[in-house]
Amino acid sequence: MVRSQQIIDVFQRQGVTHAVGLTDNIQRTLFLALEGDPRIRLVTVCREGEAFGVAAGLWVGGARPVVLLQNTGFLEAGDALRGTAINMAVPLVMLIGFRGRRSLAPGAGRVDTAATFLEPTLRAWGVAYDTLAGPEDLPLLERAFAASERESRPRALLIPEALE
Amino acid sequence: MLRREDVVRRMLALRTEEVVVTTQGTVVPWGIISKHPRDFASHDSAMGHTADFALGLALARPDLRVWVFNGDGSLLMSLGTLVTIAAAAPPNLVHFVFDNGVYEVTGNQPVPGGGSLDYAGMARAAGTRCVFAFDDPADLAEALPEALRAEGPVFIALRVALEEQSAQSRRPDHPVPSLRMTLAEEAHRLRGELGGVRS
Repeated sequence: MVRSQQIIDVFQRQGVTHAVGLTDNIQRTLFLALEGDPRIRLVTVCREGEAFGVAAGLWVGGARPVVLLQNTGFLEAGDALRGTAINMAVPLVMLIGFRGRRSLAPGAGRVDTAATFLEPTLRAWGVAYDTLAGPEDLPLLERAFAASERESRPRALLIPEALE
Repeated sequence: MLRREDVVRRMLALRTEEVVVTTQGTVVPWGIISKHPRDFASHDSAMGHTADFALGLALARPDLRVWVFNGDGSLLMSLGTLVTIAAAAPPNLVHFVFDNGVYEVTGNQPVPGGGSLDYAGMARAAGTRCVFAFDDPADLAEALPEALRAEGPVFIALRVALEEQSAQSRRPDHPVPSLRMTLAEEAHRLRGELGGVRS
């Protein structure tokens, strides 16, 4: 299980100044930890699409934002992502709570469509991604910052299990 | 009732070093008269998210004032942004809404509730620190300088007359300099202008 503080440690090594987003059950502890962190400003939004506009403005203003949201909100935010971070070529790392991933396993029962559509949508929108399933995957988060900067594009880390 | 062209000319006369973000119906009227390097045309972007973008700029650069010229149709697409801005409480953000009651660039179809919505009331209810509403040129002329100096977030609703404007495309020979670039080029240019390019 990944601890929220491990993610914040990566953020700090990468010079993250602002975390913009909307909480979910998977990243709940990360939001709580950021509320008490004086080094990274948490900006909460009412709907996930706003987060990409805010993050794009932060980056143009010289800050280094990350976006935190759930897959449901990511699906809702498509045009905002397209029209801001993608069209403005903003290097941006987003962490996406992968609600329902377990429901995709064979024989799991009712499938959560928020999980079904996430990866096909990421691929369709041209957003490269990795999965942050455990502490051993934390280097992927570090690499996402480097790759998004190099490519001047958004990249995503999917988080399938609730953070500790 | 205000005329948009008069309003933007009045704003231009008061503008010093502010970052000015335009969208929809204000991109061309402002871009024709202002050639400032801190102008940003949020065009070919995501309708409804220009105020979000301006909020990000204001948070990143608390040493600068940021003005955003929003449209009523755009604001209606993301009304929650009023709450987001009020909660983030940037003292340096001034959010204008040009309320003409229609989607102008698609041929003046009415926005839902067009002509009867109280945008200033919405901003006030969302918790915006400082709210103004103008529909009279003389009132605007008298109060605008003070409104622009107020500690933000500031919200200014402007009831403007219906006009006609066709849809614009970014192209190399566009009379508005910002629209000669791609949105990415414009975003990276402004980042450089604001000194945000990392070494």
